[in-house]
Amino acid sequence: MMQSEKLQRKIDSYLAELRKCLGELPPEEVHDILQEIRGHILERAEASGELTEERLVAILKALGRPEEIAPLYQVDSIVAKARASFSPRVVLRAIHRWSHISSWGFALFVIGVIGYALAFSLALSGLGKIVAPQEVGAWLSPGGFNIGTTSNPAARDVLGWWLVPVGLVGGAITAVATTQLLRWTLRFARFRRPTGGTAAC
Amino acid sequence: MVFGPDPERPDNWERQLKKGWLELAILASLWDEELYGLDILRRLEKDTDLVLAEGTVYPILSRLKADGLVSTKWVEGEAGHPRKYYSLTPAGRRRTVAMARYASGFLGSIRKLIAPVLAKEDK
Repeated sequence: MMQSEKLQRKIDSYLAELRKCLGELPPEEVHDILQEIRGHILERAEASGELTEERLVAILKALGRPEEIAPLYQVDSIVAKARASFSPRVVLRAIHRWSHISSWGFALFVIGVIGYALAFSLALSGLGKIVAPQEVGAWLSPGGFNIGTTSNPAARDVLGWWLVPVGLVGGAITAVATTQLLRWTLRFARFRRPTGGTAAC
Repeated sequence: MVFGPDPERPDNWERQLKKGWLELAILASLWDEELYGLDILRRLEKDTDLVLAEGTVYPILSRLKADGLVSTKWVEGEAGHPRKYYSLTPAGRRRTVAMARYASGFLGSIRKLIAPVLAKEDK
């Protein structure tokens, strides 16, 4: 009894260590991973007949150390998910994670935010023209050019109703182009932690 | 590890070579049936010596899933704990065929290239 409790504790502490190292992943993903690894350990243990401490140590050693396995998940899941996704949220989140460890990542995150903001405001102008055709336009005035609303009475609406298709299509193109650019750059992202994989988690 | 990098130590180049083949081996093992992680590992251990640390197979499976090449389901079985079963998606089958074709052609040309090396060794 004492012996099996001790072995159980050893398994638990291995999994606790792994959980700690997986820290940044979404909780449901962490739960899945731990469940799977626990199953692996238990099944290997059952296959060995009577489980001894030596045998358990060998099973855990064959698995690899938690601090070596965990970073493989981090690299894999975040980048792979973003590269397989067209969702600006998923892509931008991966870039945001990248921006923590690299100035390239940060620059791209800024570009991404600007790109999506531009796409959003173009689409909004297109829609705004439908809702409030008198106020919203592409205004050209001696002071400059702006899309949206203007307080300058001298401003001239250069696009008229064309702002609707231009805004909507332009917004969509800008959003898709931003997403594609970010996804393309993600293949160059290296998510290895600067401290290296062997640091205590 | 303690002695630092030594290009002559087999585990350096061997590790690099194995890493690339592992993904194909995992996908190929799922060709005929769905398997859970330890099943896949056992199969790889039986037929190959590709697996270095067993724990590295699980992150690869998780990436294959994120890439949409395999799908998973949890099965409560007689094992007393749930098992996560993996199966190829249609995209996964296409990828496996493409990788297998490439690997086969690649192996053919490599075999030709290394033939002189091995022939010299025999003498």
